[in-house]
Amino acid sequence: MNVDLIRKDFPILESSVVYLDSAATSQRPKVVVDAVSNYYLTMNANVHRGVYQWSSAATDAFEGTRALVAEFLGAASTEEVIFTKGTTESINLVAQTFGEMHVQAGDVIAVTRMEHHANFIPWQQLALRKNARFEIIELTDDLRLDPKEIERVLSLKPKIVALTLMSNVTGVRNDIAAISKAFHAVGSHVVLDAAQGLIHEEIKISDLGEIDFLALSAHKLLGPTGVGVLWGRKRLLESMPPYQFGGQMIQEVGDYESSWNGLPHKFEAGTPDIAGVIGFGAALSYLKKVGRNAIAKYEAQITEVVLQEIAKISGVTLIGPKSLEDRGPVFSFSVASIHAHDLATYFDLNQIAVRAGHHCAQPLMKKVGATSTCRASFSFYNTLEEARLFLAVLSQANAFFARKGKEPHRRRSHVVS
Amino acid sequence: MSYRDVFGEVLADHHESPRYYGALPLASKVEHGFNPLCGDKIDIYIQVEDGVLVRCQFEGEGCSICMASASILAERIQGMDRLAVLTLIDAFREKMAGATVVKGLPSEDSQEDDLVALYGVKRFPVRIKCALLAWTTLKKAISEGDTP
Ligand SMILES: Cc1ncc(COP(=O)(O)O)c(C=O)c1O
Repeated sequence: MNVDLIRKDFPILESSVVYLDSAATSQRPKVVVDAVSNYYLTMNANVHRGVYQWSSAATDAFEGTRALVAEFLGAASTEEVIFTKGTTESINLVAQTFGEMHVQAGDVIAVTRMEHHANFIPWQQLALRKNARFEIIELTDDLRLDPKEIERVLSLKPKIVALTLMSNVTGVRNDIAAISKAFHAVGSHVVLDAAQGLIHEEIKISDLGEIDFLALSAHKLLGPTGVGVLWGRKRLLESMPPYQFGGQMIQEVGDYESSWNGLPHKFEAGTPDIAGVIGFGAALSYLKKVGRNAIAKYEAQITEVVLQEIAKISGVTLIGPKSLEDRGPVFSFSVASIHAHDLATYFDLNQIAVRAGHHCAQPLMKKVGATSTCRASFSFYNTLEEARLFLAVLSQANAFFARKGKEPHRRRSHVVS
Repeated sequence: MSYRDVFGEVLADHHESPRYYGALPLASKVEHGFNPLCGDKIDIYIQVEDGVLVRCQFEGEGCSICMASASILAERIQGMDRLAVLTLIDAFREKMAGATVVKGLPSEDSQEDDLVALYGVKRFPVRIKCALLAWTTLKKAISEGDTP
C-alpha cells in the first residue's frame, strides 16, 4: 500500500490539517463524491417506481450497492441487507422489532461496558419497557471484556446480547467468533455493532461465529453520511414485524388491512437516501481496490509507533490496552495537568484534529473514572509522519502545561472560608 | 506554544489560581451545573441577604476556560445586588452570542478588566459553552423564586 498515492484520491487531505478523527467519521475519496453527484447530474429519479430510463438506472445503481454490501460482508443473500440511516437506526430497528417480540418480563438482555450509547440505550430502554433484567458485561483493568464476566452472563442465558466489534474509545477488538458461539450455545441472539472495525481489517460474517444481526454506518467506511446497513439472518428478518410503515414496504394496502413487501424492502419504508447509497457503493469498490489486508498491515505499523512512543511520555496516560494485539489504531489518552478540551484546542492550534469528550460512551467513562478524554484515531490514509507529528505535539503540550505539584482540579483557593 | 500563548495571561492566571474557589459553609444555596457534552461540572455556592449577593464561591471540575470564567465571574460579583448580577449575566451571554457592544459590559479594548479576556473565547466557538457554564448556573441559583 502506497499511502502517498492513496492520499491523492482524497482531495481534502491536500489541506494542512492532520485529520486524526476517523473513528468519528472517515474522509471520502473523490470517487465517492463523484458517484453522488453523478446520480444527481445524470439519473436523478426515485427508485423502484418509474418505468423510465432514469429510474431504472438509479434503481440499478442503488441495488448495485446492495450487492456490493452483501459481498463486502459475505452475506448469504442481498435479501439480508437492509439500508438504514446508520448504525444507530439499525440497532434501534432490531430492538424495536425483534427485541419487542422476543423479550418477555424477567428475561435477561446483556450489553458490555464498552458500548457506544447507540448499542446501549436501545437495550436499556427495551429492558425497562419489558421489565426485563439488564446486565452489563464488565471489563478488565485494561478495558477488555473480562472472561469471568462473560461466563457470569452466559450462565444467565440472556435472550439478547449486544456488543461491539471494536471500541470507539480504546480501539479494543473483541473476539466475536468465540463470544457469539458461546452465547448461541445457551440460546442467546447476538447483535453486533460493527460501526468500528470493518474498515481496519478484512472480516466476513463467517469470521464472526454465530451473530444474528450486524449494524454498520457508511460514513465510517469512506461513504456518505446518512446511510447505514442492517444485516440479519433471513429467517429472523422474515419473522419480524415492519419497523416503519409507508411507501415501498407494502405489498397490498386495503382499507382495513395491509400486507408487507418481502425482504429487504419490508424494512425500507419511504424514499431512501438514494445518492448516499450509490456513493456507498463507490466507497466499497474503492475499499476493495485498496484491500483491507493491506490496510491492516499498514495500520499496524502506525499503531506500533504510537504505542511505543506514547508510553515514553511521562504524564500521558493511554486508556486501554498498551499492547498491539487485538486492537485498532484508536487511542484515547489523558494528560495529568490538562483538561481534555484544552488539550484538543492545543492540538487544533497545531492543525491536528483530535476528538475530546466522552465519545458517546459514558458507561465506559464511568469505569475509566473520567468525564472526558482526548482521542486520536488513525486511518490508512494517515502517514507515519502524521503519527510522529501528533506524538511531538502531545509531548510538547505535556511539557508546557505541566506544572510541578499542581493537580488540575484541586486548586488552592485565594479565599479561606 | 505555551498555555499563555493559547488562552492569554489573564485566563491562565485565573485558571491556575482561581479566586473564590471552594465550598462555602454558610451558603444559603448550592446550585449544580453540568455540561453533558464535555463533562464540565460546577457547584456554585451563594449567600444572599436582603437581595444582595453577599458571597459567592465555586467548586468544580472542568477545562481551563470553564474554571477561569467562574473565577472571573466570582471576583466581579461579590456584594452586588442580585438583580444587577442577573443583568450582568444576561449581558455577558449576549456578548458571547456575538453582540459587539453590550450595555453594562466593558468594551473590547479595556485592558484593565479581566472580563474582556473571556471575550477571546469567541475565537473557539465550540468552547463558548465552557465559558458560559458558571454564568448560567449562577443565574439558575439566583433567579429561582423571583417575584416580578
Ligand atoms: C461503536 C459505535 N457504535 C455506534 C456508532 C453510531 O454510529 P452512527 O452515528 O453512524 O449511527 C458509532 C459512531 O460513533 C460507534 O463508534
